[in-house]
Amino acid sequence: YPVFAQQAYDNPREATGRIVCANCHLAQKPTEVEVPQAVLPDTVFEAVVNIPYDTKVQQVTASGTPGPLNVGAVVILPEGFKLAPKGRMSDELKAKTKGVFVQPYSKTRPNILVVGPILGEKNREVTFPILAPDPAQDKSVHYLNYPIYVGANRGRGQVYPSGEKSNNNTFTSTAAGKVTAIEAGDKGTTRVTIQTAAGEAKEQTVPAGLKVSVKTGDVIQADQALSYNPNVGGFGQAETEVILQSPNRVKGMIAFFFTVTVAQILLVLKKKQFEKVQAAEMNF
Amino acid sequence: MSILKKPDLADPKLRAKLAKGMGHNYYGEPAWPNDLLYIFPVCILGTIACCIGLGVLEPTPLGEKADPFATPLEILPEWYFFPTFNLLRVIPNKLLGVLSMAAVPIGLITVPFIENVNKFQNPFRRPVASLVFLFGTFTAFWLGIGATMPITQALTLGFF
Repeated sequence: YPVFAQQAYDNPREATGRIVCANCHLAQKPTEVEVPQAVLPDTVFEAVVNIPYDTKVQQVTASGTPGPLNVGAVVILPEGFKLAPKGRMSDELKAKTKGVFVQPYSKTRPNILVVGPILGEKNREVTFPILAPDPAQDKSVHYLNYPIYVGANRGRGQVYPSGEKSNNNTFTSTAAGKVTAIEAGDKGTTRVTIQTAAGEAKEQTVPAGLKVSVKTGDVIQADQALSYNPNVGGFGQAETEVILQSPNRVKGMIAFFFTVTVAQILLVLKKKQFEKVQAAEMNF
Repeated sequence: MSILKKPDLADPKLRAKLAKGMGHNYYGEPAWPNDLLYIFPVCILGTIACCIGLGVLEPTPLGEKADPFATPLEILPEWYFFPTFNLLRVIPNKLLGVLSMAAVPIGLITVPFIENVNKFQNPFRRPVASLVFLFGTFTAFWLGIGATMPITQALTLGFF
């Protein structure tokens, strides 16, 4: 959950570039992001985060029953950029972001936006409405090429912030020995009995929703998997760039291009004129 | 079309040059002033306009502030260092790894001293040099691609 990161980390992007969601969502899955090439100051634009996954697959929920995957995403914008207020958004953008509650990461970091967990089926493409800053009003912002870091996740995590493993994990054996019995326990759990070399019978309970991967009579090591890995989700991060563009620079550039083009045409015309002189005088 | 000067074939000096495959600047369009004064500035202005346009529309990203205490997740160097970077990471002995990197420029330094062993320039007439070049290029590409892969596939590229 994004709230776990919000409680535990002041800045969700570590110095190494890793986004902290990866601390609990251990599997790696692709993530894509689309932003405009350049934005004008004080305008609203959208960043679209793609979280591809197969909607047919289901994950184990905390109770052990299969359920659909949720998604979540974090967008780390450059300082000064922030969530677009409702009043500034176009009707089209309002319709696109309807029902998706994007919020700033914290009071001190309004430039980081988080969303989630939200239903993955409808939200494999999450649109973040963003307001670009105006360097005329905010002196800390300049007309530059800025990086944007994005992390997106689908499915449940493998570790809780407390360090406990979730049931969305491979369940491993605590003892070495021979599997003597596999029986159904209550509420969908499975009891696996392991006879150790010392002759002790150790019973382990595989949580509900996990498929047992060992058979009766198998000899297993300690920490060997007793179940298949139920995890179908994963976290991925991506980065892109956006240019905060000055309208005056673009105007100046167009004016400069115009003068260059005129100068080039004039040079060619002058050459043509001089060629006539050369041809007339036969002096070259 | 443009003004063209015909070659003065009565000039024995020019004929001698042409016979040797030289002297082509003695005829054709005059360089001065037709080319140098009028067309060169057109190209120069065009180049300047391209640079200005890129500078305005696609400024260089500033990148992140370096933090000496944080190793980035990806330590891949610039692409032209990929082959030697791969050597450095697959050779277990770090001294040997560094020496293997140093061997590349040292090998290149020897080229001017040994390339005249064979007097021909045509690559088909200097087969050893050509084969060394092809082998070196292939190895560099192979190692370079391997550098972007996990360490277990660094040498095999996952083919074997």
